[in-house]
Amino acid sequence: MLSWLAFLVVAAVLLTGAIKAVTSADLVHTVLWLAFVLVGTAVAYVVLQADFLAAVQVLLYTGGVITLMLFAVMLTRRRGEAGVPSPSRGPWRGLSAGLAVLLLVATAVIRTVPLAGWGSAKPVGGRSAELGARFLGELALPFEVLSLLLLAAMIGAIVLARREGGRRPAPLRRQAALPIPEPAPAPDEAAHGRSK
Amino acid sequence: MNEILAQGPGPGAWMLLAALLFAIGVYGVLTRRNLVAILVSVELMANAVNLNLVTLSRTHGSLTGQSFALFTIALTVAEVVVGLALVILVHRTHRDIDADAPSRLRG
Amino acid sequence: MVQLALFALFAPVAMFLAIAVLPPQRRRGVLAGALSSTVAVASLGAGIAALLRYDGQPVERTVTWLVHHGRPIASVGVFLDGVSLSMMVVVGLVAAGVQVYSLGYLHGEPEPHIGRYFAWQSLFIFSMQSMVVAPNLLQLFAGWELVGLCSYLLIGYYWTKPSAAKAAVKAFWVTKFADMGLMAGIIVLFVETGSFDWQPGLAAPVATAVAAGLFIGVMGKSAQVPLHIWLPDAMEGPTPVSALLHAATMVAAGVYLIVRAYPIFEAAPGVLAFMAWLGAITAFVAAVTAIAQDDIKKVLAYSTCSQLGYMVAALGSGHAMGGYFHLTTHAFFKALLFLGAGAAIHAVHSNDIHDMGGLLKKMPWSSGLFLVGTLALIGFPGTAGFFSKDFLLEELLEAGQLVPLALLVVSAGLTAFYMTRVFSIAYLGDPSPAAEHAHGTPATMFTPMAVLGVLALGAGYFGARLAELWGFEYAFHLSALGLATTGLGLLGIALGWLKYARGVDVVPSLTGLRAFIRSGPVDTFWDRAWRRGLLPTARGIGWFDRYVVDGLINLVAWATLRGSEALRKLQTGRAVDYVYAVVVGLVIFAAYGTIAR
Repeated sequence: MLSWLAFLVVAAVLLTGAIKAVTSADLVHTVLWLAFVLVGTAVAYVVLQADFLAAVQVLLYTGGVITLMLFAVMLTRRRGEAGVPSPSRGPWRGLSAGLAVLLLVATAVIRTVPLAGWGSAKPVGGRSAELGARFLGELALPFEVLSLLLLAAMIGAIVLARREGGRRPAPLRRQAALPIPEPAPAPDEAAHGRSK
Repeated sequence: MNEILAQGPGPGAWMLLAALLFAIGVYGVLTRRNLVAILVSVELMANAVNLNLVTLSRTHGSLTGQSFALFTIALTVAEVVVGLALVILVHRTHRDIDADAPSRLRG
Repeated sequence: MVQLALFALFAPVAMFLAIAVLPPQRRRGVLAGALSSTVAVASLGAGIAALLRYDGQPVERTVTWLVHHGRPIASVGVFLDGVSLSMMVVVGLVAAGVQVYSLGYLHGEPEPHIGRYFAWQSLFIFSMQSMVVAPNLLQLFAGWELVGLCSYLLIGYYWTKPSAAKAAVKAFWVTKFADMGLMAGIIVLFVETGSFDWQPGLAAPVATAVAAGLFIGVMGKSAQVPLHIWLPDAMEGPTPVSALLHAATMVAAGVYLIVRAYPIFEAAPGVLAFMAWLGAITAFVAAVTAIAQDDIKKVLAYSTCSQLGYMVAALGSGHAMGGYFHLTTHAFFKALLFLGAGAAIHAVHSNDIHDMGGLLKKMPWSSGLFLVGTLALIGFPGTAGFFSKDFLLEELLEAGQLVPLALLVVSAGLTAFYMTRVFSIAYLGDPSPAAEHAHGTPATMFTPMAVLGVLALGAGYFGARLAELWGFEYAFHLSALGLATTGLGLLGIALGWLKYARGVDVVPSLTGLRAFIRSGPVDTFWDRAWRRGLLPTARGIGWFDRYVVDGLINLVAWATLRGSEALRKLQTGRAVDYVYAVVVGLVIFAAYGTIAR
C-alpha cells in the first residue's frame, strides 16, 4: 500500500513537471520545470534503491545541465524583455507521435513485464561500493573512453561557440582601445625574434 | 486487485511511467519551436530511458542497469554541451533560436 | 619495290600535312604549290622506279587491322602487281603533270586559296594511290571515299560561287548515294566469306549480289547513266581538277574497282551482261548529249562519261583487260584534252567554244596538242585511243554482245563528230574578238601537256608490253570491225568538218535535240525522285525521330523533372518535419517488429 502511495506521488510529480516543461510559455520556466523533473527522478531512483545514481542525478544532471541551460537561455535572450518567450506550434503532430510511441511501448510493457511486485529479485540497495568496483574493474576501459568523449564534447563545444575569424574576446578588445604605446616597428620585432 | 495492492508497484508500473515521460518528451520535441525547449524535451526523453534502466536493474537485482544509466547520464551531459553550443551558433547566425530559422535545406 | 611504292604513297600525304598543318605554308600558296609539285614529281619517280623493278611476281605487304576475338577482320597495306603498279604510274603521272600545270593556271589567285588547292591535291594523290594499291575491298573503299571527299573539296574550290558550291554538294550526294550500293556489296561479301578479299570461286548468287552492289557504286563514281548527272556539273571546279579527278583518275576508280574485283564479277554473268548494256547506253547517250554542248568543258565531261561507258561495256565482255587498257590511254588523252581546254580558257577567259574561235593561229602549239588529244579520243588510226578502243570492241565481239557493240561503234562516229565540231568552232577559222587578245601558254602549263601528248600518241605501241605486264596476250591485227569503226570515225570527222568549218548543211539542224538536252531530262527525273520520294521519306523518318523517339526520351525527362519538382516539396528545411518523419518511421518499424514477433 505504502509503496504504491510513494510511486503515485513520484509519478504525479514527474508527470506534472514534464507536462509543465513542454507546455510552459516561458523558456526559463521550462528549464526550471525540467530541473523539477530531474530532482523528481532522483527521488524515484531512491525509491528504486539506486542511491548512488540518485546522488549523481542531483549533482551532475540537476547541477550541471540545468546551469548550462540557464546560461544558454540567458545568452540568447533578447534584452529588455521580462521573460523568454517559448512559442509552440500546433499540437497535432506532437500528440499523434507521442500517443503512438506511448501506445507502442505500453503494449510491449504490459505484454512482457508484471505490473506489480518485484518477485524474488535480489535487492540492489546499499551496493554502491560494488558499483564503484565495477567501474574501476571490468568497466574501466569504457569509463576511460567516456572521459575521452566528454573531452571531445567540451572541445567541440568551444570550437562551435567560438566567434569566427579568430577575433580577440571582448575584454581584450577593450584593452586595445586604451591609449597604449605604439608597438615597435615590425623589422625590429622580427630581428629581435630571430636573435632569440 | 488486493494482490496487486499488496505487492506494491512493480517493473510494469515504473516502465509505464517512463513510457509516459518519454511520450511527453516526444510531444515536446515536436511542438516546441525554441531550440533550448527542444533540448529540454530531449532531456526528458533521456531521463525516461534512465528511469527504465534503473527499473530493470531493480527487476533483475543486477547493477548492470545502473552502470548503464551512469554512462547514459554522462553521454547526455556531453550531448547537452554540444547541443547548447549549437544553439548559441544558431543564435549568432540567425539572431533567433527558433527551430524553423535554419531552413536552408529547403528544396 | 615496296619501299618505293610506299614512298610514292606517303610522300604526298606528308606534303598534305605539311601544307595544311604548318601555318606559313597554307598562306604562301605559291611556295606550297612548288613544294607540292616537287613531291608529286618525286612520287611519280618512285612509282616509275617501282614499276621498272617489277619482276612479274605480285608482292603483298599488309598489316593486320581490326583484330576481333583474336581473328583479324581486315588488313591494310600494299598489293603490288602489274595492274596496280601501272595504275600507280598513270595516277602519279597525270597528278604530277596537273600540279605543275596548276602552278601556271592558278597564277594570280589569292595565295591562301592556292595553298588550300595544293593541300587537297596532295591529299588526293595519297587517297587515289592508297586505293590503287589496296590489298582488299575495305582499304579500297576507304580510299574511294577519300577521293570522293577530295572531289567534293576541289569542285567547290570556287566555293564563293553558288553554282560551284551546289555542284560540289551534288557530286558528293550522287556518289554517296551510289556508295550505299558499294557498301552493301562489301558487307554482303564480308558476311558471306568473312573477308574483304576479291577471291574467285564465289557461289553465283553471292557473287551476283556482291557484284551488283559494287557496280552500283561504280555507276556513281564512274558516271554511268542515270547517275552521270554530277559529272558535267563537276566542271565548276578548276580545269586542272577536271583533268585529274573528273577525267583521268578519280572517275576511272570505278573501272579500276571492277578490274581489281574481277574474280567476283566473273562469277556473276548477269551483272556482266548488265554492265555491257549499261556501258554501251551510257556511251551512246553521253555522246549524243555532247553534240549539243557549247561549253568546252561540258563537251569533254560528257565525252568522259561516254568513254567510261566504253570501259564499263568492255568489262562486261568477260575480259578485264580491254577496259583497263582503254582506262590507261584515256587517262592520257583526256587529261591532255582538259589541259588543252584549260589553256584555251586561260587565254580567252571563257568556257564557250563560240568565244574561242581561231585559236590555232593564236596559240599553235597548245592547239596542236589539243588536236592530238582529239584524234586520240576519236580513235584516229595510230593514236593510243585507236588501239585501246579497237581492242575493247574486239573483246565485245568475241563475247557476242552484239547490240552493245553496235551502240559503241555508232558512238565512235558520234565522238568523231562532236570533237570535230568543237575543234572546228574553237580552233579553226579566224580569231574571234575574245581570242584576239589570247596570250601564249606558260611553260609550266605547256610542259605537262607535251608529255601527255607524247603518251596520247604513242602509248598504243606499248600495248604488247602492257599486256605482258598485266598477264595476257595482245597483238594488234586489223579486222573488219576495226575498219568499220575507223570508217565511221572518219565519216564523223568529215561531217563535222563540213558542217562547222565549211558551213555545209550536211546534217539536219540540232535545235530540237539541243532543246531536249538543255531541259535536262535525267536531272529532272532525279529532282522529281528526290522531291517526291526521298524528301517525304526523310520527313517521315524525321517526324518519327522527333516525335516518337525523342518524344519518349523527352517524356522520361519530363516525368523525372516533374517527379523531382514534386519530391522537393518533401524537403521543407524545417527540422521538426524531419523529426516527425523519423518518429513515424520508427513507430512503424517498431510496430512491425512487435506484430511480426
